[in-house]
Amino acid sequence: MESYLESKGRDFVMIKIENVSKSYVKDKKSIDDLNLEIRDGEIFGFLGPNGAGKTTTIKMITGILNPDEGDILIDGKSITKEPIEAKRKFGFVPDSPDMFLKLKGIEYLNFLADIYELPNEKRKERIEELTKKFEIYDNLNSEIQSYSHGMRQKVVICGALLNNPKNWILDEPMTGLDPKSSHDLKEMMRKHCNNQNTVFFSTHVLEVAEKLCDRVGIINKGKLVFVGTFEEMKNKFKENKSLEDLFLEITENEE
Amino acid sequence: MKSKVISLTKVILKNSFQNMETAKSINENKNRKSKSMIILYIFVFLYLAGIIGVFSNGLIKELMEINQEQMFLGIILLGIAGFVLIQSIFSAINILYYSKDNEYILPLPIKPSQIVAAKTNVLLITEYFIVAIIGLIPLTIYGILTSASILYYISMLIVLITFPIIPVLISSLLVLIVMSFAKFTKNRNRFQLIATIFILVVVCVLSFTVSDTQTTPEQLVQMVTKANGLVEMLRGAFPTLGMAIDSLTNISFENQILNIVLLVITTAIIYFIYIMIGQKLYLKGAVGNLASGKKTKKKLNETKAFKKSSLGKTYVGKEFKTLLRNPIFFMQCVLPAILFPILIIGLTFAGIKGEQGGSITDIASMITNKTSIYVGIGILCAIQFFLMFIYISATAISRDGQNAVFMKYIPVTLMKQIDYKVMPNIVMTTFMSILTIIMVEYLFKLPVIYLLVITVAGIAMGVLQSYISIIVDLKKPKLEWNSEYAVVKQNMNLIWPVIFGMLNITLLIILTVIVGRFINSYIFIAIIAVVYLLLTMIVRNYIKNNIVKLFTNIY
Ligand SMILES: Nc1ncnc2c1ncn2[C@@H]1O[C@H](COP(=O)(O)OP(=O)(O)O)[C@@H](O)[C@H]1O
Ligand SMILES: [Mg+2]
Repeated sequence: MESYLESKGRDFVMIKIENVSKSYVKDKKSIDDLNLEIRDGEIFGFLGPNGAGKTTTIKMITGILNPDEGDILIDGKSITKEPIEAKRKFGFVPDSPDMFLKLKGIEYLNFLADIYELPNEKRKERIEELTKKFEIYDNLNSEIQSYSHGMRQKVVICGALLNNPKNWILDEPMTGLDPKSSHDLKEMMRKHCNNQNTVFFSTHVLEVAEKLCDRVGIINKGKLVFVGTFEEMKNKFKENKSLEDLFLEITENEE
Repeated sequence: MKSKVISLTKVILKNSFQNMETAKSINENKNRKSKSMIILYIFVFLYLAGIIGVFSNGLIKELMEINQEQMFLGIILLGIAGFVLIQSIFSAINILYYSKDNEYILPLPIKPSQIVAAKTNVLLITEYFIVAIIGLIPLTIYGILTSASILYYISMLIVLITFPIIPVLISSLLVLIVMSFAKFTKNRNRFQLIATIFILVVVCVLSFTVSDTQTTPEQLVQMVTKANGLVEMLRGAFPTLGMAIDSLTNISFENQILNIVLLVITTAIIYFIYIMIGQKLYLKGAVGNLASGKKTKKKLNETKAFKKSSLGKTYVGKEFKTLLRNPIFFMQCVLPAILFPILIIGLTFAGIKGEQGGSITDIASMITNKTSIYVGIGILCAIQFFLMFIYISATAISRDGQNAVFMKYIPVTLMKQIDYKVMPNIVMTTFMSILTIIMVEYLFKLPVIYLLVITVAGIAMGVLQSYISIIVDLKKPKLEWNSEYAVVKQNMNLIWPVIFGMLNITLLIILTVIVGRFINSYIFIAIIAVVYLLLTMIVRNYIKNNIVKLFTNIY
């Protein structure tokens, strides 16, 4: 196993964020010198209160925003220098699920399948498998506009997983999902991590991270304040008063 | 009752102007930008005013030489009526049924009659802007040239305020009637889209038949001797036209006053009747529009559903689907490409036909040199004019709204995506160019080779502007919106295609005047086509080289 990974010439790192900074407005850094490594085969939870910079970070990883400084490598490919190769290596679920509302569910998924060049036989199997799992198969032939918030979220999730990407990047994926779908999603994230795939997701809900993540990172005001396992995090909170306050800010449970 | 209508009118108007304000992105110097926008608007206004002024001046002087200057009044009033009638069909559909303020207004405790009145007022106020250009300027020039009395100017103002009301009411009522059938349909959204197309087709057909009314030769001769045939023909069908003309014509003082009073009273009565009918019809159609698509479970066609196709095909397909399935985008971006050439070219020639009593072939024979450079440039200018109303490309990024970031995280190069996104605009402009050419060919019978050269130049012009327009949208995309209306109507960017268009027309005319005489018309138009294609390549290269920078505002 190890020799296989080493032979690829990189050290188990799927996503590498190097000295990344970003400001939307002059002199106000929304992300300040961020360094983070997501390893092969792990579920990584990106925690932080609202406005901490989670979405901004994810937008830079996925190529939506260009970092002002630093670079991001995905499976060894730089998102700024080799964007197309890098983008082939992840599936992305943005924070708003209102995607192309005038398309039918099936049209949206086929559109993505064409973008990721999925062959005919595989696409039927994959679309059916994913949409039946999330119980939206029967709605595929109507416009996404007619879907509920949760159903829209599910279509986008299915779209991101169509080509079985090495990285699965999700921004606040649990919001708007009912308990059963939320449970299903967590299960799928677990399953996706086998075969050395990586899941990177952001959340402002601690409980989600605790049950699911191999490691978590905490971001506050654009700065990474902690990286490690959930257990390590708890211990550290006990020692550090200011971290404990932050801990309280991150919602303990959903609503 | 009255104050509620007035405040509602204010709210709706303000709402649409505020939407324009938010078109600007946050971190820009607001004041400087909006000032330069205002200057730009004034410039465009003056340009149009200038053209219309010069045209009126020439026409009135011609008519004065044969002592027929009153004909001008009829032509202008008819022009106002026709223009307002067609223009307000579009606005009526939008303001009454697709406007986003419906969401807030309909649940409020306001009577339907008040809503209809307020919305109609908004409709009227927006029409007055157009009337100021196509009515106020020509009629003032007429007054000056005929050294009219003060009474003329007073009645001119009254006429300009009252006369456009009835055309607005007619088109609004037409819209209300058709839309009220939505009550009986299952899928209201789709129905309203179909109804919209239906209304527009009816307008087209009507405008043809009205101007095409069959008349016996004797009547025709009589009308021609009366000198303003079409106006006379329509006087009966459209009584306020006669009143308006008479209140501007210096027959006798009493007659003029009488006609002004008649005009005002007739308009008031019709307004009242309109509100009575309108309030009954309005709610039936409007409420339905709020309920968005129903949840329907339709079975997938398993053999067709999972078919692979090339990236270009699906991408362009997706662009077309979002355009066609969205009623507002469809009406604002796709329909003009089809309707404007038919309506304007059709009406112009039907009008000429009515007035001169001649047939189309006579008109064709009037043009002695069919391969004249002026014919070719004239057609190109017409195509350019229609191009200004096709802003599929100028809104290609903004229409995606928050989904625009999708372009940035999928593994397809941004340049390829730009090419795909420009495609619907190219298709529609090409379609429009060919449609225009076909109509021209039908009317003029030009030599085929010459037509082909012109067609190529027209299409090249469309391709060039498709790429230029998307740069405008990329630089200042309007991604934060919650009503499609904001993207295609309340969008400052859309002034740019108009500016490019006017610039292009001006350049074409100047060029023709300067070098037109010395060059063979075929070669001249062919050179223009080549220039457009070269410019397209330059513009596309610019996009390609700056693609990352151009996309920085989309996140
Ligand atoms: N489009 C924007 N323009 C200006 N500032 C922004 C923009 N988007 C986010 N920000 C700022 O960047 C910071 C991080 O935001 P974001 O990454 O969305 O936080 P999170 O996703 O963790 O809630 C916030 O302070 C926010 O105000
Ligand atoms: Mg966020």
